[in-house]
Amino acid sequence: MALSLILRNAARTNGMSSIIKSTIIVDSRKTFSQLLDKSKVISPLYRKINLPIVKRSMSGDHSKLWPIEKAVSVILLGVVPATFLTPNVVLDDMFAVLTVVHFHWGLEACVVDYIRPILFGAALPKISLGLLYLISAATLGGLLYYNHHCGGIGQTVRQFWEIKK
Amino acid sequence: MSLIFRLAANRCCVNQILGDSKNGLSFIRPVTLKARSADVPREEGHDERNMKLGRPQSPHLTIYAPQLTSMLSITHRFTGMTLSAYTIALGLTAAASPELIPNAIENLECLQLGELAISALKFTLAFPLTYHFWNGIRHLIWDTGKFLTIREVYATGYLMLSLAVASAIVLSVL
Repeated sequence: MALSLILRNAARTNGMSSIIKSTIIVDSRKTFSQLLDKSKVISPLYRKINLPIVKRSMSGDHSKLWPIEKAVSVILLGVVPATFLTPNVVLDDMFAVLTVVHFHWGLEACVVDYIRPILFGAALPKISLGLLYLISAATLGGLLYYNHHCGGIGQTVRQFWEIKK
Repeated sequence: MSLIFRLAANRCCVNQILGDSKNGLSFIRPVTLKARSADVPREEGHDERNMKLGRPQSPHLTIYAPQLTSMLSITHRFTGMTLSAYTIALGLTAAASPELIPNAIENLECLQLGELAISALKFTLAFPLTYHFWNGIRHLIWDTGKFLTIREVYATGYLMLSLAVASAIVLSVL
């Protein structure tokens, strides 16, 4: 009984001292966590503890590209039906560029998710990504050429859709 | 019990000290403390760590029951891949030999496959598009922070699915 009491007290004092130590260390850092500052439930004592933001660098900073991806998606919602309803060169070219950009990002996510270095080694993921860039570029080139020298995307889809039987 | 142990230990210690005391205090060793920087834990990747711990892949597909939420989510990716394949096929054909495209459409018309086959073909082209279109809107609404409760996720899921099937059927009989 007495032993357990001693041990528990020892642990407590140790714990306290380590908390105080870590408070001092952490406090001296300059990074400020917005999350901790904003939250109202945290007591004044803990508000002083500013933990450094640890970012996982799995695929780099995505915060700048993300809004652009979403904007492209929103524009595509209008451009795709418009291209099929009223085909013209401007819409065909918008369709080509935006679709290729959109599917490139989508397939890039698939390559990163499924063709992982731990499963396929160091080389294959890089080769796949390079191949994807090549395919996307070739597709964009082909579609733009087709829009300007042949029927165009919208008109071609309409022609196919006119086949009834 | 503890008393016995303690006594035994005391005895041992005392014996040792007494035995060694002939050669002076040889049991005292000089210890030098040296300051050095703390060990930085090695950066370990998410996959590396999970593989070392023998964790199964997440989601654990072989034991996880299929749910509407996860199935609609993976179908969004599948339809996206299908649409990418359609676009890549069109683009690469246009890059290699663009005259193939109108020729193929003409040939298809000449084949006279019948109404049902043509409608089925149109459905396979249209459904991935309508699905990705309506579910894409659902995802964009989620991105604004709306309809994120489980009940809403299911309701919008069923709504999206019926819209996708209905619009694909309408498009394939056009």
